[in-house]
Amino acid sequence: MSKLNIELTINGKKRKVETTTSTRLLDLIRDDLHLTGTKEGCGKGECGACTVIMNGELAASCLILAPQADGAAITTIEGIGDDKYLDPIQEAFIETGAVQCGFCTPGMILAAKKLLEENPHPDEEEIKRGISGNLCRCTGYQKIIDAIKLAANRLSSSDSGRGKKDA
Amino acid sequence: MEESFGDLKKGQKNCQRTVHCHVPCQGYFAPQKIEEALEILSKYGKEIKIIAGGTDLLVQYYDRLYEINHWLDLKNIQELKEINITQDEMEIGAMVTHTQLETSEDIKKYYPVLSQAAADIGSPQIRNRGTVGGNIVNASPAGDLLAPLMAYNAQFRLLSTTQEEKLVSAEEFFIGPKKTILEPAQLLTQIILPLPSERTYGSWIKIGKRKALIIAAITLALVVEMAEDHKTVKDVRTCLGSVAPTPIEIKEVKKKMAGKNFNQLDFKQLGQIVEDKISPIDDIRGTREYRKDVAKKIMIKALEEIDESMRGEEVI
Repeated sequence: MSKLNIELTINGKKRKVETTTSTRLLDLIRDDLHLTGTKEGCGKGECGACTVIMNGELAASCLILAPQADGAAITTIEGIGDDKYLDPIQEAFIETGAVQCGFCTPGMILAAKKLLEENPHPDEEEIKRGISGNLCRCTGYQKIIDAIKLAANRLSSSDSGRGKKDA
Repeated sequence: MEESFGDLKKGQKNCQRTVHCHVPCQGYFAPQKIEEALEILSKYGKEIKIIAGGTDLLVQYYDRLYEINHWLDLKNIQELKEINITQDEMEIGAMVTHTQLETSEDIKKYYPVLSQAAADIGSPQIRNRGTVGGNIVNASPAGDLLAPLMAYNAQFRLLSTTQEEKLVSAEEFFIGPKKTILEPAQLLTQIILPLPSERTYGSWIKIGKRKALIIAAITLALVVEMAEDHKTVKDVRTCLGSVAPTPIEIKEVKKKMAGKNFNQLDFKQLGQIVEDKISPIDDIRGTREYRKDVAKKIMIKALEEIDESMRGEEVI
């Protein structure tokens, strides 16, 4: 194990972090950056609780060494929505009752976010595939799928409005 | 600086170890060129771990990452991430991800079985990070891409630290579960696939207990090349995964099919050959008996699928 410095952009903010060669990105996010929305479930890439968006792609942060993320842009759940406004996906999860214990929720929402960016009108099969890397052990998947459908509808109907506001 | 984290105390040296490295040593190399990677590899040999996507490696070393003192990360080597067509070959860089294989139009067009196998790997999270080179070098008997690569007559380009280049076939490369002929001083750089003729058909079947994130109980990659008359079978590659210590080809199928009219083939008999020629083991993913039974059934199904896609073309 050796120490080294890496630089990465987390939720739009550039950070310089000192880490080690045996630190996982997940540990760096949780323990060093104190962004504890990203969870550790299985630690082996099977449950998706540690999901982040890295360089525009979904990734399991438990299977990434911190130095592998040197130079990367990473979005965690803390980068979705802000203090005043929730992301429409977050709203939809609340409204449909897709959150119970909440442990899988950050990963589910990031998977949904990525899915809807790539495919704004997914059918049920596409939604299932989009969240196939994320396990939920309490709510069950139906409400999560409902939430993603609701979010997709809202996002597409408010597309133009939102776009203008942001611009 | 406020935004600097970590538990290193001021004044502490960069490297805690003195046995294997020379201060300043960071233990982590991410070169931009293959030559540099080879240089590092020749210096550290067995003492360095090569990391591609890390989706297998970090599972393997889950609770003992600290054991690895030196890492060679190939992420910055652009030429390893490319898919290129030459005159009669496809060159796939070792760092090409499963997502790239799944979505590349060229791979879909020429090697649909490989593309479909990539799409069946793990989950989006895994496919985005895991690489073809990692899948090969890891050499799991259940590696999803291995049977398809073998079925398309893949060759692996191995570059040694002395810049010596070697091309080996998939058959030669895999020698046991998680065992290959790759030496510590060698790097897998590219996978070379001959471009198949237009009359090539394929079928991919993966059997597992669930769709996502499952290690296959059995995989089948069947590739059939037809003769110019579009009726006679010219060549067949029947490759299976998870039924032997390495991915295997059932050569007897080729003997039975080559030169025959596809319409007159006895699919059940061919399925039986596959069942008879494999000797899988009992493990948590399935019993020997189950695997043999399923092997026959998926062989028949694969032949039917190929039959259907050929008929589909006739109608057009």
